[in-house]
Amino acid sequence: MERIADFFRWLNDAHGVNLSIFYDAFDRSRFLEGLWTTVELSTICTALSLAIGVLGAWLQGARFGLVRQLVQAYIQFFRNTPPLVQLFFFYFAIGNELPHVLDEHGMLVPPISNVGWAILSLSLFAGAFNVEIFRAGIEAVPRAMVEAAESLGYSRLGIYWHVLLPLAFRISLPALNNNLVNLVKTTTLAYAIAVPELLYAAAQIWSEVLNVREMMNVLLVTYVALIAVLVAIMARWERALRIPGYDP
Amino acid sequence: MTTLPVLLTPGKAALSRPSGDGWRDLFGGGALGVVLAALGISILAGNAHAAPSLGGSPGVLAILLKWAPLVFQGFLFNLLVSVLSMLAGTGLGLWLGLGRVSQLQVLRRVSGAVIQFFRNAPWLVLLFYCMFLLPFSVSLPFGTVPLPDAAKAVIGLSLPVMANVAEIVRGGVQSIPLEQWESGEALAFSRRQILWMVILPQCLRRMIPPWMNLYAILTMSTTLISVVGIQDSMTLARAALVAEGRTELFIPMYLMLLSWFFLYCYPIARGTAALERGFRVRI
Amino acid sequence: MLGMFTRAALACVLLAGSLAAPARAEDTLDKIKQRGTIVVGVKNDYRPWGFVDPAGKIVGMEIDLAQDVATRLGVKLELIPVTGANRMEFLNQGRIDLILATMGDTPERRKVVGMIEPNYYAGATNVLAPKSAQLKQWTDLKGRKVCAVQGAYYNRRVTQLYGPELVVFPAVPEAVSALQGGNCVGFLFDDTLIVSTLSAGDPKWRDYEMPLVSEDPQAWAMGVKLDDLQAPFGMFLKKLSIDWHKAGTLVELEKKWGIKPSPFLQEMHDKYKGG
Repeated sequence: MERIADFFRWLNDAHGVNLSIFYDAFDRSRFLEGLWTTVELSTICTALSLAIGVLGAWLQGARFGLVRQLVQAYIQFFRNTPPLVQLFFFYFAIGNELPHVLDEHGMLVPPISNVGWAILSLSLFAGAFNVEIFRAGIEAVPRAMVEAAESLGYSRLGIYWHVLLPLAFRISLPALNNNLVNLVKTTTLAYAIAVPELLYAAAQIWSEVLNVREMMNVLLVTYVALIAVLVAIMARWERALRIPGYDP
Repeated sequence: MTTLPVLLTPGKAALSRPSGDGWRDLFGGGALGVVLAALGISILAGNAHAAPSLGGSPGVLAILLKWAPLVFQGFLFNLLVSVLSMLAGTGLGLWLGLGRVSQLQVLRRVSGAVIQFFRNAPWLVLLFYCMFLLPFSVSLPFGTVPLPDAAKAVIGLSLPVMANVAEIVRGGVQSIPLEQWESGEALAFSRRQILWMVILPQCLRRMIPPWMNLYAILTMSTTLISVVGIQDSMTLARAALVAEGRTELFIPMYLMLLSWFFLYCYPIARGTAALERGFRVRI
Repeated sequence: MLGMFTRAALACVLLAGSLAAPARAEDTLDKIKQRGTIVVGVKNDYRPWGFVDPAGKIVGMEIDLAQDVATRLGVKLELIPVTGANRMEFLNQGRIDLILATMGDTPERRKVVGMIEPNYYAGATNVLAPKSAQLKQWTDLKGRKVCAVQGAYYNRRVTQLYGPELVVFPAVPEAVSALQGGNCVGFLFDDTLIVSTLSAGDPKWRDYEMPLVSEDPQAWAMGVKLDDLQAPFGMFLKKLSIDWHKAGTLVELEKKWGIKPSPFLQEMHDKYKGG
């Protein structure tokens, strides 16, 4: 470890290539914390957006027209407006208007922190796409399956949960994976509301240590590598779940 | 789908209803209505909130209208950036996509790597990269050409567009049945002739829906340029909010901006959906 | 696997690109005179040093100083708004000739940018906080959320010394919005901005104060390329800077823009008047 640190210190002194995250503990810890926060943010938002997707697809088949219209309104709103503006809207506009609560120091603070708003906003954004993806997947399930389940006496919820969803999940897995990759890329937007994810950490480092060029390259390579790993895992999972002979 | 419509019992709610066509549905099953209603409510609430403390000062609607022209100019700038990036990205992506399906293995691999790279990188990071690391002027044989911030942003946004267009082109070309290639060969066309005169005209139609979808995504991503310091609708809206300093303005201002983007992107999405439906093969 | 290898190769090429040597040195003073314009990087969100007036023009004390530089060189003045995070990059890229943007003179920065001595101002760090926060000393900030702006030299020092949880925004308007929304207990910034904000008389700042003792007084300096420091351009600016102190220009401008009279400037004025 020391050897590596020395090498990068030499690189800085001799050639002016300042990769401080390798030899400075404070910068390294900030960078790794940023990376970890990005991973956390992605994981939580994926889980939440999947839940929203499942719920939304279920509500789209509801009996009441009003419920269906509301779900449509939600989807169209979040799919056709910029996620950055949504994020700002939630954090600065709605966050300000919510009734403030007292924190442990006796100060009035908004009830949801900036990380909370980032999670909420990104999950709603990805969830809207997931609802559409699940709907397409559900539509692609042969009607015969549903009729068979009905004839076996399943309730509407039972059909949805035990028959439709598992099959639709497999069918829509490629689209879901694509959405997940987009979600990980979209977490970089949280930088604008000071969520300490990877881009934020890198920006902090380069504005203090003044090594913009090096940090930019490191940042780009890190993200590409992170997402390449994710894509590889997802591709392997898709292959594992493929039903032989069934290729929609 | 192998079930013919005649077998479905009428009046039974389908477990999943696709959205219908028609004018009523053109505006998002009420999504726009919900947004406008929210806008109206927030303006009224803002007025009620403000009136007791600042009695006599202009209402929220008046302030919004005062700043709307300026923020709208920023919005038009967003649209300009989106059009320029789309053109640049499409031009580059077309060639990259053709490289991806070329017969030279080296070209295929390199194109594949470039496409993967730019599809994996977050758009904001690419934008930062271009803003910081591109020079501010380029010296060409006939003189130095200044590269303003906006140009760097257009370049930064056109890179992921290029990669996505390349993927669309690849998908389009690969979806044309092999028979078309073989017929072309039988008629003694060279590979290049087959590509340009037989294959591409056919896949153009089916590439349009994903291409339009990409444009909608790009338009929404143009707001990212506000994070790297370029004046667009977001920065102007924020400057207006700071200048006015009234917290009850925040929600109406952002809702106004959201509704503009919605009004622009939603028809594109509907148009894309309609085109896709037009292409679906009905048995 | 080959795809990954190609990707790695691409990354290495990019990294190697970062090793490329910077542009060759050219005499900046000649360039400026030839061009007929001097391009100066200034702040546009830091009242009263550099800010935007209602008509949209950038004005402020530093703009007046920049105008003086331009007049003495006999060239036109062009202003480019910069932030703490990009001013040094712009200078080294050659996009601006001179930094006059509330830049703190620190040893790390001296490795990257040439600082003109004598410094033209000295500011210190403090916090803008609501009175209800009841902050009394710097150690009260431990573990609390404090809004800050990217690129400030004191962010790191304050974090390491007092352990606040810094919430760093890209620019001043967002940080101020966040403070007003109650998202943080205070806004860490130069005391000159805080003082001028509080004394402007805006009702929304009535419940705010600057409770702590200003720390870490930092001299501000004009910035030029490292090569220019010993070149004619740097020498010219150095002489100009001494002249400003001697003639009391800085003290006058301070009064004009309502900046709290700085003992630093008075000292420097006395020192150079005598010599």
